[in-house]
Amino acid sequence: MVIQESMSLQRKLEILSDAAKYDVACTSSGVDRKGNSSGMGNSLACGICHTFSADGRCISLLKILFTNECIFDCKYCINRSSNDVVRASFTPQEVSELTMEFYRRNYIEGLFLSSGILVSPNHTMELILETVRLLREVHQFNGYIHCKAIPGADPVLVEMLGWYTDRMSVNLELPTAESLKELAPHKNRKNILKPIRQIQLGRQNHREYIGLTDHQMLPKQIASNKPDKQDLEMNEVLSMSSGIVPYTKKPKIKRSFVPAGLSTQMIIGATKETDYQIMSVAEALYDNFDLKRVFYSAFMNVNQDNRLPSTEAGPPLLREHRLYQADWLLRFYGFQTMELLDEQHPNFNVLLDPKCDWALRHLEMFPVEINKADYYTLLRVPGIGTNSAQRIIMARKSAVLDFQDLKRMGIVLKRAVYFITCNGKMMYPINIEENFITRQLVALKDQIPLGIDKDITYQQLSLFDDVNFKIPYSGTSMVANI
Amino acid sequence: MHTKRIYLCDNSIDGIFTAIYIAWSSRLGHSNIKIEEKSEGSNYSNLELFSDYVPVDTDYDLSMKVSESIRKKISEEAFEMVCRVALSDYVGKADLIYRFLILGFAMGNQILQHLSNITVNTVFKINRNVNFEVHHLLGFIRFSEQANGLLTSVIHPKNNVLSLVTPHFVDRLPQEGFIICDGNRKLASIHVPGSQWIIAEVPELNLEMGRDISFMEDEYQDLWKAFFDHIAIQERVNPKLQRNNLPLRFRGDMTEFQ
Repeated sequence: MVIQESMSLQRKLEILSDAAKYDVACTSSGVDRKGNSSGMGNSLACGICHTFSADGRCISLLKILFTNECIFDCKYCINRSSNDVVRASFTPQEVSELTMEFYRRNYIEGLFLSSGILVSPNHTMELILETVRLLREVHQFNGYIHCKAIPGADPVLVEMLGWYTDRMSVNLELPTAESLKELAPHKNRKNILKPIRQIQLGRQNHREYIGLTDHQMLPKQIASNKPDKQDLEMNEVLSMSSGIVPYTKKPKIKRSFVPAGLSTQMIIGATKETDYQIMSVAEALYDNFDLKRVFYSAFMNVNQDNRLPSTEAGPPLLREHRLYQADWLLRFYGFQTMELLDEQHPNFNVLLDPKCDWALRHLEMFPVEINKADYYTLLRVPGIGTNSAQRIIMARKSAVLDFQDLKRMGIVLKRAVYFITCNGKMMYPINIEENFITRQLVALKDQIPLGIDKDITYQQLSLFDDVNFKIPYSGTSMVANI
Repeated sequence: MHTKRIYLCDNSIDGIFTAIYIAWSSRLGHSNIKIEEKSEGSNYSNLELFSDYVPVDTDYDLSMKVSESIRKKISEEAFEMVCRVALSDYVGKADLIYRFLILGFAMGNQILQHLSNITVNTVFKINRNVNFEVHHLLGFIRFSEQANGLLTSVIHPKNNVLSLVTPHFVDRLPQEGFIICDGNRKLASIHVPGSQWIIAEVPELNLEMGRDISFMEDEYQDLWKAFFDHIAIQERVNPKLQRNNLPLRFRGDMTEFQ
């Protein structure tokens, strides 16, 4: 391996942003912090997008790897040790100065620092810690920082990093332990789950310490915890006591422990898991590990490795999209995975979004009366989101709403119209009948969002014999002969 | 035949509020009154028949009285919404605000719930539109560093949002001197560390002021462009989605698109 000592900062930035681009957890949300007069920076809980790259994804953070040198050999990763790619490493000084200067010019909302494993997990974590310490203590940076916890690193380092950062993420990489074993031989599930648990407990301890009650999100209150999590390793890690945090010496600056929470990401479509399995894992993470976000990343075979599925048709973006839609239903709409999918229907419908799909299977609950239904019932109507539901509840306090009012209030009726009444009347005389409504909904153009329809082949077929179409990639994604 | 009276006011919050005060106290009846804000585009070419045009001189005391009664009799939130509407580029906003306040003074703080009412709904939508532009600009504004260390930025917003955008940067960059120029309106907000920020009219706005940049500025602009180009995933390139999220009208002022 040749390491070029004299590489320019620009070249390093090119290499290490290239290497980081597949990471998805690039949001700047979750924490509100005013500026302070001695330093630079603040954060907004809603997050701010600073620009959008050519692929249409939001750029809010300086997303880079600290180094793309790596002792691990994960099959799906461009930086795996067996790949012959140009390697580069930043120094903590370079990263902190770059962050400050970009931030000053309002290019970014903060730093997202991930890394390959240089020498050892501990060595890498120390370099990351030093970078973040420089930013917070020397540059007095008060903006957003998101770091990766490296699996296998000492809990003391994870703890220290937690006091400096806003969000941490620990990547699950693949949905199940078996897939991980096959594709990422140097990683193991328990090593990944341990820091997740540690950070969760650290956050709880800190909240108790400063006397904050736990403001959990809605779905957790609605969804009852299911005891039958099939993932043994998950359960084992969950049962670990809070004694795991051995070292609690905080840095001098006054800040909270990982205030914007934990996130993780999974690669979708590299291995043979069904949507049902993936969503169950995500649900377990939300319910039991206090995760803020689970990100799903459509697999791309950057290594052209024959142990991985081919992605000639492009990455499975529609599948990724459906998973995000369902994830939203879990977090904000009070749905549970079991309602959306089961063993018999393990994958999401290609043609309909998960909520439409669910509603069509539960027509007995419709139509819903707009002037009477409670918030969570409104949320179950296809086409009505959290904003619309809140607006309806607000507006009907001062008037009885009809369809004209809904339109004026910006509520999109093209889906909802089949599922609601105003004053006991539907907008058109509609027969609430599955085939009819399905046909109408499938005809709507926006079911398949902007630019991710490359991998779908439309066919003329009699749709209503079988609404659960085969997902095209499930057949090709078998992982063969490792 | 009734003669309508049309009050013509300055295109500013104070101008609109002054006209509202005068219109209200004229006791002509709300349906006989209209308030129009002066706009550069219209140039009196669309005079209505059978109407008296009455120009209104902005009076800060009268304007303050209107502000206070909105806050007291309706709500602080309604006041903020009305201000944002007054800063918008919506033609006819002065009369809209007038109609909104007629309802508001009758209904009190419940007015904001009355979304099925056309006037309330329009106020709500314009307000949201202004908020969206403000939020966009919080991310899309680009500063460049001048040789003397001053940070400068030029924007061309649809709505008059300087006063809504600047406090965010004052909080964020307390130790930096910066100027944000609204190239469409010849206005600039100016922040000097350790003192209050102000908005000033700059009729001789020199859009070339970004030229005297500091020694390191070019380098950081290049670094930013390099990052911007390399962070995109080629297999997922999607200009439509990019344009949806980042409308073209912002790009002229953004470093990475220059």
